[in-house]
Amino acid sequence: MLQTLLKGVFEWLKSAAGITILSSIVLAIVVAMNRGPFILVNVVVMGGIMALIAMGLAMVLGVMNVAQFAHGEYFMVGSLIAYLIFTPMAEYLNQNPSPVLAFLAPLLTIFCALIGGGLAGAITERLIFRELRKRSKENWVMNTFLLTVGISVILINGHQLLFGTDFKGIVRYWSGPPFSFYDMFMSRDRVYTMALAIIIVVCFWLFMSYTRTGRAIRAVSQDEIGALMVGINLDGIMTLTMAIGCALAAVSGGCLLYMYPSYPTVGLEPLYLAWIIVILVGLGNIMGAFVGGFVVALLKVVTVEYVGAGWDFVVPIAIIIIVLIFKPSGIFGTEVRGALDK
Amino acid sequence: MENLQSEYKPNVFDKVLDKLCLTPMAVVGLIILLVLPYIPPFNQEYLIRWLIAAALMASNSIAFDFTAGYISIVNFGYFAILGLGGYTSAILANNLGISPWIGMFCGAIASGLLGFLTGLLTLRLRGIFAAVMAWFVGLALMGLTTKMVWLTRGPLGLRCPQLFETSSNLPYYYVILFFMFFIYLVTKWAVRTKMGIAFKAIGQNMEAARTSGINPVFYRIANFTLSCALAGFLGGFYAHFYGILTPDVMHTSKTVEVLAVAYIGGRGSLWGGAVVAFPFIIAMEIIRSSLSNLPGLHLVIYGILLICVMIYYSGGFAQFFDTYIRNPKNKALNYFMNGSWESA
Repeated sequence: MLQTLLKGVFEWLKSAAGITILSSIVLAIVVAMNRGPFILVNVVVMGGIMALIAMGLAMVLGVMNVAQFAHGEYFMVGSLIAYLIFTPMAEYLNQNPSPVLAFLAPLLTIFCALIGGGLAGAITERLIFRELRKRSKENWVMNTFLLTVGISVILINGHQLLFGTDFKGIVRYWSGPPFSFYDMFMSRDRVYTMALAIIIVVCFWLFMSYTRTGRAIRAVSQDEIGALMVGINLDGIMTLTMAIGCALAAVSGGCLLYMYPSYPTVGLEPLYLAWIIVILVGLGNIMGAFVGGFVVALLKVVTVEYVGAGWDFVVPIAIIIIVLIFKPSGIFGTEVRGALDK
Repeated sequence: MENLQSEYKPNVFDKVLDKLCLTPMAVVGLIILLVLPYIPPFNQEYLIRWLIAAALMASNSIAFDFTAGYISIVNFGYFAILGLGGYTSAILANNLGISPWIGMFCGAIASGLLGFLTGLLTLRLRGIFAAVMAWFVGLALMGLTTKMVWLTRGPLGLRCPQLFETSSNLPYYYVILFFMFFIYLVTKWAVRTKMGIAFKAIGQNMEAARTSGINPVFYRIANFTLSCALAGFLGGFYAHFYGILTPDVMHTSKTVEVLAVAYIGGRGSLWGGAVVAFPFIIAMEIIRSSLSNLPGLHLVIYGILLICVMIYYSGGFAQFFDTYIRNPKNKALNYFMNGSWESA
């Protein structure tokens, strides 16, 4: 019994996933010992949020086969909604302070960002992808990629037209002294948003695993026609998927408003990172994207720490290229996507 | 129709036209473009600059469409690769004193090489990998040019020598028109050979193409490399025309503009994007300059047009032209639009 278990563990360690996770943990420990534990905190906070964004992207890609280029723009939409809702609330709270409301207001804001992002996603799906699905199936992935490029351009410049290019940010969500943890201080915002990210991921996982709708979504991702045959409402599932994917991006935008103020092109960086993660772990692998979020966050933090800011795209991209040479299906991809299936 | 063509003995004019891949209508169009800078509203310097920008966009869209329209791979790092060509040429000219004319070819070689390497890595995989990886390579390149200040002067911008000593824009206009035509010829000739048939086969149905013994990876890489080399060549022109290069050249939004023009023009037609580019760029410049209190409006229009074309009319302008305008009953008009052979 123990032997088989050990054997399984060793097998896993020898696989690409095992090697990656193990070496990331080793890297994290070495860096933390060298530069101090604040690095780990940064990695966990960034990783949690990036995992959220990347999971949305992976889900849309896995279920709908839509290569979402506009994912970062839903991040922007989320942060914009959060800003528009939170600023008046903060003003109101300034005039008549109340500790309970001060705690609840940011939560409400982030919830609104989630709903807003979901609505935006559903509208996009209804207006654009459904129309395209009716008309053509050829070259679907590439076409959706280009369509989302169009959406991205419209959203970025729409934001610029309607709200201007200035930074719309807030100082903090939750005021109060930072939490101290050994000899580190972490602001309340970081701790709470990290907790929120984890709660959302867990809810998402429970939803996908244990509800009927979640199972239907997974069925569609495995076999569209089969799902249609057993009576799954394909259009509804597609809309829901897009809504959830965009909501995940938007909620990260809402959560990170204190770090990334809302401006037209704020979504580009999360978009790049999400794509890097998704390619790294294998296209459409949702739970892989969760782990990948932390791995890429670690790489990014370590690069910024040792090489300097501005190089934090170059290094992850170089690593992806190496991964692609040896394992084109990504580190968690089980199915080998050989050359040229569409 | 087939019979008629085989009986018909083409005269020299038609033969030359066929070698140049032009229809009589295209010749007329080119002549109009050639004399355009002397016709009153267009003979002002700033309008000539717009025309140059349009011709540059037209050339880019041809080179871009060669990949996007034929092997169905969207080169998302197109402008980064173009920027690499431009930077190569500019650095050679600045540091080693090499003439820009030779520098352009060096830029083309550098870009072609990068395209070859990227292609080698990604074109084995699904099309989306190539698109995304080309995009990442572009981002990495942009990061590198921003950071390698000792070589590229980073965001300060690299000054590069101009092609001509004059302050007039006219010589540039003719040079870029010539390049546009040259690129059109190169791509069209490539498409006409056996290779071109393979490209089309791969773009339309990969499995069928593989079954008939075409090695898709080889052809895809050949296509991608050629397109990138052409981009690098145009990058040289870009650098020596504007006289200054910043890492912003490599930004994805520029690629999006080319993409929109190429797709609105009609993918897989090569000429569609080139034809659409002129009215389109000029209209966009007018919008941009007259509605300067609404920045970004022209890009919103780009986006909406791109989406509409992609969903409702995937053939773009070329398909519209081919179905509704190109087959008139009148024989002379038909000859005017199609030439004696099915050439362009």
